[in-house]
Amino acid sequence: MTKKKSIFTQEVIVGIVLVALYFIFRLISSDFGKYTTFLSMMDISYYYVLMAIGVAFPLITGGVDLSIGTGMICYALAGGCLIRFYNVPTGVAILVSILFGVGIGLANGVLISIMGLPPFLATLCTCMITRGLGSVVTGSFAIPWPTAKQDNGWFHSIFKISTANNTKLPLGLLWIILLMLLMQFILAHTKFGRYTISIGSNKEAAMLSGINVKFYHVMVYMVSGLFAGLASIAYAAVIKTVQPGTGAGMELDAIGGAIVGGVSASGGYGTIYGTVLGAYVIIFLKQGLPYIGFNANMQQIITGFVLIGAVAIDIIKRKVIK
Amino acid sequence: MEKIKQNPIVKKLGFNRIILFCILLIMYGVFSAVIQGFAGAARIMSILNYAYFLGFLALGVTFVIATGGIDFSIGPVMFCCALMSGYTLNTFGAPVIVALLMSIAIGLCFGCFNGYLVAYVGIPPFIVSMATMNIAKGLGSVFTKTQSVSWPQANDPSGNGWFRNLVKFNDFPTGLIIFIVAVIILYVVMNNTKAGRYILCLGSNKEAVRLSGVNVRKWQMLAYVICGMMAGIAAIFFVGAYTTVQPGLGDTYNNEAIASCVMGGTSMAGGLASIGGTVIGVLVISLLQEGIMALRMTKEVQMIITGLIVIVFVYADVSARRRKN
Amino acid sequence: MGDVILTMKDISKSFPGVKALDRVNFELRRGEVHALMGENGAGKSTLMKVLTGIYTKDTGIISYEGREITFHNTHEAQEAGVVIVHQELNMVGDLTVAQNIFIGREFKKGFMIDDRKMVQESKKLFDELHIDIDPKAKMSDLTVGKQQMCEIAKAISHKAKVIIFDEPSAALTEKEIEDLFAIIRDLRAQNLGIIYISHRMDEIKVITDRVTVMRDGTYVGTLITSECTKEDIINMMVGRVIYEDPKTHSMVPKDAPVVLKVEHLNAGKMVQDVSFELRKGEILGFSGLMGAGRTETARALFGADPKQSGDIYINGEKVTINSPEDAVKHGIGYLSEDRKRFGIVVQKTITENSTLATMEKYMPGLFINKGAEKAVAEQYIKELDTKTPGADQLVVNLSGGNQQKVVIAKWLVRNCDILIFDEPTRGIDVGAKNEIYKLMNHLASEGKSIIMISSEMTEILRMSDRIVVMCEGKKTGEIPIEEATQEAIMDKATRDIK
Repeated sequence: MTKKKSIFTQEVIVGIVLVALYFIFRLISSDFGKYTTFLSMMDISYYYVLMAIGVAFPLITGGVDLSIGTGMICYALAGGCLIRFYNVPTGVAILVSILFGVGIGLANGVLISIMGLPPFLATLCTCMITRGLGSVVTGSFAIPWPTAKQDNGWFHSIFKISTANNTKLPLGLLWIILLMLLMQFILAHTKFGRYTISIGSNKEAAMLSGINVKFYHVMVYMVSGLFAGLASIAYAAVIKTVQPGTGAGMELDAIGGAIVGGVSASGGYGTIYGTVLGAYVIIFLKQGLPYIGFNANMQQIITGFVLIGAVAIDIIKRKVIK
Repeated sequence: MEKIKQNPIVKKLGFNRIILFCILLIMYGVFSAVIQGFAGAARIMSILNYAYFLGFLALGVTFVIATGGIDFSIGPVMFCCALMSGYTLNTFGAPVIVALLMSIAIGLCFGCFNGYLVAYVGIPPFIVSMATMNIAKGLGSVFTKTQSVSWPQANDPSGNGWFRNLVKFNDFPTGLIIFIVAVIILYVVMNNTKAGRYILCLGSNKEAVRLSGVNVRKWQMLAYVICGMMAGIAAIFFVGAYTTVQPGLGDTYNNEAIASCVMGGTSMAGGLASIGGTVIGVLVISLLQEGIMALRMTKEVQMIITGLIVIVFVYADVSARRRKN
Repeated sequence: MGDVILTMKDISKSFPGVKALDRVNFELRRGEVHALMGENGAGKSTLMKVLTGIYTKDTGIISYEGREITFHNTHEAQEAGVVIVHQELNMVGDLTVAQNIFIGREFKKGFMIDDRKMVQESKKLFDELHIDIDPKAKMSDLTVGKQQMCEIAKAISHKAKVIIFDEPSAALTEKEIEDLFAIIRDLRAQNLGIIYISHRMDEIKVITDRVTVMRDGTYVGTLITSECTKEDIINMMVGRVIYEDPKTHSMVPKDAPVVLKVEHLNAGKMVQDVSFELRKGEILGFSGLMGAGRTETARALFGADPKQSGDIYINGEKVTINSPEDAVKHGIGYLSEDRKRFGIVVQKTITENSTLATMEKYMPGLFINKGAEKAVAEQYIKELDTKTPGADQLVVNLSGGNQQKVVIAKWLVRNCDILIFDEPTRGIDVGAKNEIYKLMNHLASEGKSIIMISSEMTEILRMSDRIVVMCEGKKTGEIPIEEATQEAIMDKATRDIK
């Protein structure tokens, strides 16, 4: 009755590609295999992956959130400002950053779900607005967060801890994996997740089934904002000084990661583990290509083609099945 | 209010567009009142400098949005055109005219690439844009070895500066003439030719147009080609006014170009487009840019205001349509 | 029939500029199937939407189980036991069958959704209804008929007391309709109240107990089905008498040349080795059940879908048709069954739609001659008697029948000699239907050749000069109109079904 599912889902393919990339890079470059390389790559990955996990939800509803990149910078700036200029405890600043993200997510949700603006446009506007807000809040100055050695720099150890014999462990990876499992569970086994898929697949039907679609649709963007807020902390922990006016384009890498990881660009389907794998493929390309002798800028070109390739393969695969 | 909206002239011009035009005038009035010496030819020239390149970008992307698609790679593509042709000019000593044509040709290539992937391969425009954006940025950087490129000044001894006369000849805004001619041509293309008709119709219902025996793929691709070509032309006007281009940038301009279209009444859902509205939108953003700069505020403030204006206009449009249904 | 469960009294509802319902009355008893009939735009759907809380009424009283009540949304209506099976399928394609059935009221284990229990419950439900569907299958993998069954199962699972079927049979095969009727009879026996909206007169006679007729947003009357004739109902619906006599003999001269010859056409599973001929001035009816492959044949012929093999000859010459573009070049026009999706560009004007296939004709140079374009659109508005304030009217503002005329105009402007009408009167009210029929006959008498795909037997028998019958992707028969009877066609249309 039902079609036999191929085991080669996009997620599996992406997983294989990821492993293959790792070994290819290692084979060509001896530096790539070093533990420090791995560590620095993990550092960079956290905020991209967090953004990707968050944005997977709007993507699955058939929408998009373009405000996460500039938003992340904006939240990091706001939190940093509080610590720097108002001597607010780091914990409070972190909370403010995250809540700021949730707030912008709420604004996106209201614009899209209640006021009926197309997601692309609404988040494009909030992208511009958050980018501007970041500069306005700080008076266009770069804001450094406390360093790991400072007293209020404890948040660095969320992502990286030193053991007794001074080796560093990428603790952040653990959080990423836990969050991935949690969000995958939420997507697959809770009402919120199911309705996220339903909105992306057939919004009208969901509405007629008596689901409060507007509420869940707003929630989706709040989740995306929440993860942009979390990403801002990861960003502050890695990139010591946050520059206003940056962040544009990062959302595209995160979205690209989700799409490469099998999230349908037209909504209705996607997995969080696929998203995380896809995001790591993008990060591997970003960080790894220079190691094997590519110009750092070639990386962008290759990333572009990888994105087109991933979607094209999906389209061709579907055509063949038909 | 309703009466005004039902007036045939108002209906033809579009109520929102008239409002937008009023906003433009009011903004100009306010800036002139607040800032000393704002009202004057020098400022207007400066506003126009910004409006030219943004205008070409926005006019191009209007065609793409009319098909129901999107292209937000145009900013980086414009920079890529300017970088590659400028580098050829400076490093290989190519004649200016070759560099200018090269800029347009590169834009065209990007347009063809985008159009082919969207129309013939069937990749969503959003993803194609994302990819092209990366490719354009990377290509510009790789080609110029990550150096910024400066185009020759008007009085450059090589005589290569003549291209600046396209933008400004002595104090006469030649660029304005070219821009107006381009607007008229594109207006006619959109409203009075087969290409425009098919682009608008397929934006509204692609399958119905296909089943009418129209080669929809060709026309859909054409919209992206027009858009790419316009980005190439925009590049010329950008360097004509601002001389220097840096690799890896350009993102903000696609946001502004798309914002101009949408303010002017072009619908993101496709099928509805207004060349005139786009032009007014471009002027609003250019004026805002100039005014904010004159007030010694950062460009970021302009972004916030642009974002808010777009939200208001799109909301007005969306709720008007909802009431109609 | 039991006691009254639902009454709607003097219900009125206005939309800006339209009075959609004007003091409408309706009554439903337990254990009855009550048909709600009327032309398109008569207000049936609006009335049901008022009942289930999608619209709020302006005035009037709804009492349900003896109490006056107003539902504010579908959810409240469902809770109270009033559920609707929509005409358009309302399923989330990316979820499984079980997930769809329990959407909006999932079983939970703590925070988690209990998918296993949902599958079990679905299985139980399907067993009760004697439906064979795997609850774990993905919804978008099922056929339209199966999806419809799921929709019904979902409605029933709400512990419903009143079920509204809004044209449920439109997408079902005869076999599935029989299953549906069995289920409905079952539900009636369980003392549920059932409202049945349909256009198919035959079904009304078979399944319903009473009929309420609406016209132009007003209540016309209620009849007991067993005591009235089809003509009674139609007269109430349209307020005038309509004759639907079958054609008795072919109108095509014996020596009429063959304009189109299709040989061994193959396109996927739905079109297997189909061959037929079409003569000048002929109306060739394509009959068969839903899913017999008629639309697919037409689309493959027209180049809208890819085909594997087959030869097409037009006026004796072999032609290659790989895209609609080719087909139109060879003078074939296709009027789709789904006008809104495939026929018209709703947000554009009548003029723009009329010349969509003929742009070149109205471009003396590079530019469109808008005057000439408008003139031709106006000419066809007049010729086809399209009801519109003017050629600048957006097509979205027209009624179904008039939209169909715009599509016809599009192909007439193109001067197509072969026209494929796919369900030409679907969603068109009875009055406008007749006009379309007249128009088709007129076109045929002018020498145009027409392929007419229709699921309505009366339409086939009334219009065709010759009938091709298809079943499961194969052509199973060809009957001249002189020998055609409903039985003969049905026999061939069901030949391959075991």
